[in-house]
Amino acid sequence: MTDVRNREALDAAEKASTYEWGFNSDIEQEFAPKGLNEDIVRFISAKKNEPQWMLDWRLKAYRLWLTMESPDWAKLNVPPIDYQDAYYYAAPKVKPMLDSLDEVDPEILRVYEKLGIPIEEQKVLAGVEGSRKVAVDAVFDSVSVATTFRAELERAGVIFRSISEAVKEYPDLVRKWLGKVVPIQDNYFAALNAAVFSDGTFVYIPEGVRCPMELSTYFRINAANTGQFERTLIVADKGAYVSYLEGCTAPMRDENQLHAAVVELVAMDDAEIKYSTVQNWYPGNAEGLGGIYNFVTKRALCSGRNSKVSWTQVETGSAITWKYPSCVLAGENSVGEFYSVAVTNNRQQADTGTKMIHLGKGSRSTIVSKGISAGRSDNTYRGLVRVGPSAENVRNHTQCDSLLLGAECGAHTVPYIEVRNPSAQIEHEATTSKISDDQLFYAMQRGLNAEDAVALIVNGFAKEVLQQLPMEFAVEAQKLLGISLEGSVG
Amino acid sequence: MSSPAILGLPSPRDEAWRWSDLSALPALAEASPTGGVIDTSGFWLNLGGPRLLFVDGRLDAGLSDPGPITCGATGVASAHALARLATGDGWALRLGADHAAAGPVEIVHVATGGASHLPALIELADDAQASVVETFVGDGWANRLLSIRLGRSARLMRSARLLQASGFVSLRDEAELAEGASLIATVLGAGGQGTRIDAAVTLAAPGAFAEYGGALLARDDQRHDAAVAVRHAAPNGTSRQLWRAVADDRAAASIAARVEVARDAQKTDGEQSLRGLLLRRTATINLKPELEIFADDVKCAHGATVGELDARALFYLESRGLPPAQAKALLTRAFVADALGRIGEEAVREAFAADAEAWLEATL
Repeated sequence: MTDVRNREALDAAEKASTYEWGFNSDIEQEFAPKGLNEDIVRFISAKKNEPQWMLDWRLKAYRLWLTMESPDWAKLNVPPIDYQDAYYYAAPKVKPMLDSLDEVDPEILRVYEKLGIPIEEQKVLAGVEGSRKVAVDAVFDSVSVATTFRAELERAGVIFRSISEAVKEYPDLVRKWLGKVVPIQDNYFAALNAAVFSDGTFVYIPEGVRCPMELSTYFRINAANTGQFERTLIVADKGAYVSYLEGCTAPMRDENQLHAAVVELVAMDDAEIKYSTVQNWYPGNAEGLGGIYNFVTKRALCSGRNSKVSWTQVETGSAITWKYPSCVLAGENSVGEFYSVAVTNNRQQADTGTKMIHLGKGSRSTIVSKGISAGRSDNTYRGLVRVGPSAENVRNHTQCDSLLLGAECGAHTVPYIEVRNPSAQIEHEATTSKISDDQLFYAMQRGLNAEDAVALIVNGFAKEVLQQLPMEFAVEAQKLLGISLEGSVG
Repeated sequence: MSSPAILGLPSPRDEAWRWSDLSALPALAEASPTGGVIDTSGFWLNLGGPRLLFVDGRLDAGLSDPGPITCGATGVASAHALARLATGDGWALRLGADHAAAGPVEIVHVATGGASHLPALIELADDAQASVVETFVGDGWANRLLSIRLGRSARLMRSARLLQASGFVSLRDEAELAEGASLIATVLGAGGQGTRIDAAVTLAAPGAFAEYGGALLARDDQRHDAAVAVRHAAPNGTSRQLWRAVADDRAAASIAARVEVARDAQKTDGEQSLRGLLLRRTATINLKPELEIFADDVKCAHGATVGELDARALFYLESRGLPPAQAKALLTRAFVADALGRIGEEAVREAFAADAEAWLEATL
């Protein structure tokens, strides 16, 4: 690095040391008492008027959780988490179930406005007709505050509900699938989530229906010392199609907050689910103070023939990310895809990747992972491709590329390949590189400044993944990449 | 009384031992060698250098010609889960600056049941040069620790072939390379034993070169397992890890290869190529090509593939008149040969190729 570039980097780092979404809104909220015990689990369940079976399920998960240990195999340095020093339930005091969006607390509306959700979504949240349709479920701390376009979706037969409503309105459907893809004993954080999850989204697309619009959930942690534990369950019946988007932000705080979500997807015969995430939780400041601990379990079950699940994620936030969106490819000729861009800067740590479990004949999977590390961060791809003995003619292709910006960061690749059937064709490739002086010089010589040149090159590096995102998200994600890396390279 | 707990054996719950099966070890540790005479004449390559014969971990002085090698206390110790058992007497090859051993060193380890734990040391001063070939035969648990220290521009070629009829062979190599030093290690697992190959190679000074690889051929219920970590601690180092695994019957061959690049090890060039070939549907191949990189100006790439023989290549050979069985054998041989090609001495390379060939002939 030349001195000039160093200086530019330092200047830019100064400029970019703020997290745009780090404001905190003063909204009257209701909390459960601090700490975690069976009473809190009962409290949450009672708050939601849940049936007995839900409470039993939660308590079973809680008791199991007490016997489990926090996983330590990831390349993460996780400070001990005090599970008693957090609120497990926080809700805006205004009654969350509303007939009209006009009744939503204007303060909350302002929050979503400030978040800079793409303009169409804002209009939708504000109830303006005629804009491009994206149905939104907005989850504020522990509860869902608004679900839009309900009536129109219902005409198509699509059920789009906060999960606490769905438990009451569609108990059979929820009971049939909840915990089937990610059972409570799956891992430490999944058990914790099952015990204390407060809200989330439930989607059911009936047979043969192509969901008429993009569905989206926007998660926001607002209250201090709260953990967010949401649970998403999407079931696509035979021949159904749905595209689902997920976004998240949190205020800037000096303490760490825990986010432990569970996402379960089920795709039956010929069904397709496209799940896109732009994860932008508060990453902590440049010295690594504060930020969200993001421990998420996401898994899809491709149970039907020719079913397909595609995960796309852009991970730029969180102090710690521990997340492996996976596909269990049980159906014949089922398809799993994983496209990921993970950016870490400053002191962020990310250990993320995917698992593709091939059980069905002719199942195929594609993994494209782009890791970008800057500052003093660590970025790990951890993936598993497993082929069962009866899964004939499985194909997998994995491409893992890492880009290092600066000499203080780390990029790691930990792929596991376990094959038990000779007809499988498994390929794995990985490269590690940095932005070359030539590339930078060329871009700058065409009139870009160093920052823009880096953003351009990084966007090119991540293009394969970004182009998988729905348009609204792609634009946001591209900007996010630029912002996350501001000041990281010179 | 030796249970895993008493021996302190790791379990598959430990990440680094996830694919290992050490269940046979407690029983082997308890058993005592049956002694008896094993004809080792077929295992010597007669390369004209020093030779050592160890029977159940004890030197057979009558059949050995140690040359510059000393036998006795080595001062070598390791915290490694298996190699920590290798205390007591062993062998040491120490060469002064600019020295070379008179021809390749040959060491044959014969096991007659039970367990033997043996430490060893290879210490080459600046510009010294040596080649060491080890052969493991017999039955039982042969547990070995080898500490390698290479001075500036020293060169070591190390090859090991694991040809035991049954039992278990565990190797642990711990190597440290000074500036410009070169280590080329090749391991061939072609016996009937279970295997665990562990290595930690550190390129401690600029410009060092390390190559660690080999071929694991597994059949029946065997488990072959390699876990190699190459650490680049200084700039301008080069490392290669080339492994080939073949699994038949209900066997499992697993390779975990790691390249670590430390903060200041700029201009590192690290390459991994791991390939697995499954001959039967009940067999398993596990691969884990891992990169851990803390420097930004490095070239690190890895490739990993698992599958069966290329149908097009088979068809091509058959279209040239080769019977299917021969075509299959030819392609499998080529697949394995990739991993043995780095052995320097022709005689050693040919011997290893012949062992692999014998395995393939018995299997295909």
